Amino acid sequence: MAAIIYALCAITSMLCSWLLLRGYRRNGYRLLFWSGLCFVGLSVNNILLILDRIVFPTSVDLLTWRLVAALIALLPLLYGLIWEE
Amino acid sequence: MNDMLIGAIVTASLIAALFFLRFWRSTGDRFFLFFSLAFASDAVNRLLLGAATVDSDDMPAYYIIRLLGYGLILFAIYDKNRPRS
Repeated sequence: MAAIIYALCAITSMLCSWLLLRGYRRNGYRLLFWSGLCFVGLSVNNILLILDRIVFPTSVDLLTWRLVAALIALLPLLYGLIWEE
Repeated sequence: MNDMLIGAIVTASLIAALFFLRFWRSTGDRFFLFFSLAFASDAVNRLLLGAATVDSDDMPAYYIIRLLGYGLILFAIYDKNRPRS
């Protein structure tokens, strides 16, 4: 069950980043670019989650790296929200 | 260290949610409302995960909130792109 939920989180976040960046390529709306970039980082976060919990459940602890990825993901979005609009 | 990162992520997510809420109010475009709800749910998810004891059995259930947030983003993109009748 856990593996399915984690996998779905990773797949949907990757799908979000692809659709947002594709939207940006089509209409040039820059907020889509910053949102897409955010979801690229959140995808990394979710892939690390799978590695941490499912692939290497006992041998490694990636919690800090997962959190760093999530925080770095949000920073370009905040930049875009503050400066672009 | 991890608690500090979680706090920063929750704050950044909430700020993003508030910006999208403001864009929704100023444009009336519900695309922004879905984004606002998605980032607010992400903040709630991270807050619950941060408060939970590490590796408790019900951990995966918290990620359903995250999944619903990503679903909102996908729905927002679909809603924006579907042909208007």
